[in-house]
Amino acid sequence: MKSIRIIRASTVALLLAAITFPALAQKQGGTLTYTYFPEPTAMSTIATTAVPVAIIASKVYESLLEYEGAGMKPLPGLAESWTVSGDRLTYTFKLRKGVTWHDGKPFTSDDVKFSIEKVVTPFHSRGKTYFGEVSAIETPDAHTVVFKLKSPVPYFLRAFQPSESPMMPRHGFSDEEIAGDKIRQAKIMQAPIGTGPFKLKEWRKGSHIILERHPAYWKPGRPYLDQLVLRVLPDGSARAIAVEKGEVDLAPMSALPPSETQRLGKFPNLVASQDGSEGLGPIMWLEVNLREKPLSDVRVRQAISLAIDRVKLVDVIWYGQGKPASGPIVSGNPNHFDKSLKPLEHNPAKANQLLDDAGYKRGADGVRFKLTQNYLPYGEEWVRQGEFIKQELRKVGIAVDTQSLDMGGWLKRIYTDWNYDFTSNFTHNYPDPTIGVQRAFISTNAKRGATFNNSMGYNNPKLDALLGEAAKLEDGPARNKAWAEVQAILRNDLPVIFLMEISYTHVWNKRVHGLITNGVSMYSSWDSVWVD
Amino acid sequence: MRRATVGFVLRRLLQLVPVVLAIATLNFILTKMAPGDAADIVAGQMGHATLEFTQELRREFGLDLPLLEQFLAYMGRLLTLDLGTSLLQQKPVIDLILDSLPATLLLMLTSTVIALGVGIALGVAAARRQGTWIDNLISVSALLVYATPAFWLGLMLIVLFSIQLDLLPSGGMLTIGADLTTFGAVVDVARHLVLPATTLGLFYVAIYARLMRASMLEVYSLDFITTARAKGLSEGVIARTHALRNALLPVITLAGVQVGHLLGGSVLVETVFGWPGLGRLLFDALLQRDLGLLLGILFVSSIVVVLANLAVDLLYGFLDPRISHK
Repeated sequence: MKSIRIIRASTVALLLAAITFPALAQKQGGTLTYTYFPEPTAMSTIATTAVPVAIIASKVYESLLEYEGAGMKPLPGLAESWTVSGDRLTYTFKLRKGVTWHDGKPFTSDDVKFSIEKVVTPFHSRGKTYFGEVSAIETPDAHTVVFKLKSPVPYFLRAFQPSESPMMPRHGFSDEEIAGDKIRQAKIMQAPIGTGPFKLKEWRKGSHIILERHPAYWKPGRPYLDQLVLRVLPDGSARAIAVEKGEVDLAPMSALPPSETQRLGKFPNLVASQDGSEGLGPIMWLEVNLREKPLSDVRVRQAISLAIDRVKLVDVIWYGQGKPASGPIVSGNPNHFDKSLKPLEHNPAKANQLLDDAGYKRGADGVRFKLTQNYLPYGEEWVRQGEFIKQELRKVGIAVDTQSLDMGGWLKRIYTDWNYDFTSNFTHNYPDPTIGVQRAFISTNAKRGATFNNSMGYNNPKLDALLGEAAKLEDGPARNKAWAEVQAILRNDLPVIFLMEISYTHVWNKRVHGLITNGVSMYSSWDSVWVD
Repeated sequence: MRRATVGFVLRRLLQLVPVVLAIATLNFILTKMAPGDAADIVAGQMGHATLEFTQELRREFGLDLPLLEQFLAYMGRLLTLDLGTSLLQQKPVIDLILDSLPATLLLMLTSTVIALGVGIALGVAAARRQGTWIDNLISVSALLVYATPAFWLGLMLIVLFSIQLDLLPSGGMLTIGADLTTFGAVVDVARHLVLPATTLGLFYVAIYARLMRASMLEVYSLDFITTARAKGLSEGVIARTHALRNALLPVITLAGVQVGHLLGGSVLVETVFGWPGLGRLLFDALLQRDLGLLLGILFVSSIVVVLANLAVDLLYGFLDPRISHK
């Protein structure tokens, strides 16, 4: 992990330099080419919030606010100011005047009301989480929007990110599309009209997407770039070669295999950085089916947790691109991570003792019992991780068979059929644990067919009550205390075996500047990014 | 064209209808047998989807209908040559296929020309020098290339020609955003084409070289070659005018059969080189369980394979006038 720390430190230094000397000759013009795979299937996060879509759609669409720093401090965006009532039930946004859509029409409060009511809340995958408590949206004039809430939502001001609540034009949808609930199939999903700094110029499926600067963008002199190009390269090694050759300037969000990232990070003209994903909080764990023995026994789960050497896992399998997990919330979360938590222990002797105590003695072949393992079908590292887990568990007498499935098969087996023992998985905390953490552990989410929710069948009324409480409390000591309790319970119950905090690694050419600005940097608008 | 040939072509085209429909049925069953569907994939991509959300997607995609109803609707559309809409890209399948088919046909055609040209030349050279070091060198090299995985070979070619020698681009089909003249664009595509076409073609060079050698040796043992030699014709003339044309038939037969295989190979090569063709589209459709798109691609590719075999049958008549199309 040492090399990555050095890279992190140098990235922070570069960032500081960029912030301290903003006039370091930002250059107007030029093209930034990035690569990612798979290719986006749409140009709006309403169609899907998959990473490739979220990256490119956030350059085209904006929301009411912008965010600064890893803690995602809200700043004016399409709304130039806002006020919150004392009871936290009324949010009033004053919209910026003179903002136009890519087709030249003016952006107004009607567009905001339409976007939230008709598009985001019903169709965005987190729409109801963010806006489910909204009872009314009022538009007293063309540049004022008032949100009335039924009960306080502590993370309401974090909802206005381009990838979470993109503002979409009412006139971009036909009446038939709206009346027929065909929002996700609307033409605008492929041919976007946003207010963002870039607009679609060319989309050649299977090859590339070109975005060009929106000349009437509301920020004077922005964006700096003339063009933004996405090159679709399906093979990980080919993506690395394109970065190495300088054909591509940026491979964001772990677009390169970890081995290639480590190799390219040593090049003098390239930067490998793990910053700018704090607001997403990616975390990996082993999801455990709690419905049957022996995994229904907490001692067995604790033994599995003790059997795994997480430091080795991070260093060997993931080339140091992450850190051992301490619980359900990533340590980079500035607000809700319980800083008193120690890393989860690696102690095979204790694991053996727990398994003995639970009544699972070793047989003549040294095996206590057998389990079947599935792994997330995201590439070779996940396969290698499966092999590593298998080796670690064998040391404490648990024999593991590994089963390989493609994505469709994996999703069905884990979330619809619940036909598994344990599987690797990764998920996001998002900017608030009520959005990203609660869903995996609250008992009401143990429903067949719901993806990336409580597949384990975990049901703990005390935890449910704490999660409910934390969802309503205002950010502060009381809420932090509730979340600390949640973390303590989950670390002990282990409905999932927490493995590691994943670090999304971005590799870019040093000719690119200003990429990292907040906790979801690759989902930012990149209006202030410039190239030499 | 002779009447018999026209009749033959028409008969074969009619035979194509049940063959393609049978393939479409099989494809439908196979894709439905795989666990999970596009709604699962999209919901999975969202990273946080409720059961209601997944069911809503399934309803939008028409995946909640009974299987038989889905099948009948699909076949009904197929009979009117309507391939439907891609579930995930929300575009007509036929548009997506037509956008990427030319790139694949160009790749396949170029690699076939390389494979046949080089393979036949090497096969003839080996046969004419049977048992010499040249024969051994060609045979062993062919075996080596045959045993090399295409994706690895592709990456090695990229490392050599793109990174080390900096002669050719590492991937893609054209220089994105370049303002080129027509001639400039042709040259640009040709430069991008060299490595993927060579990668795809080399595997078949090995096959055709081995086959051509064996076929030439067989023809060389026939009486009419002995007669030609007795007439005092030179070995070069015998090879070109007597042996080659007769020895070509098995190679051409194989080339026809290999079209399907070539299409399969293009999935790998297009993936390594980022070539925006049908193979790539197939790969994406498969990963995303985009059933409409997947079935559309398989339908069109089965037509391409059947037509390629028809072309080979017609070529027989040209190569060997004794074969008639009755």
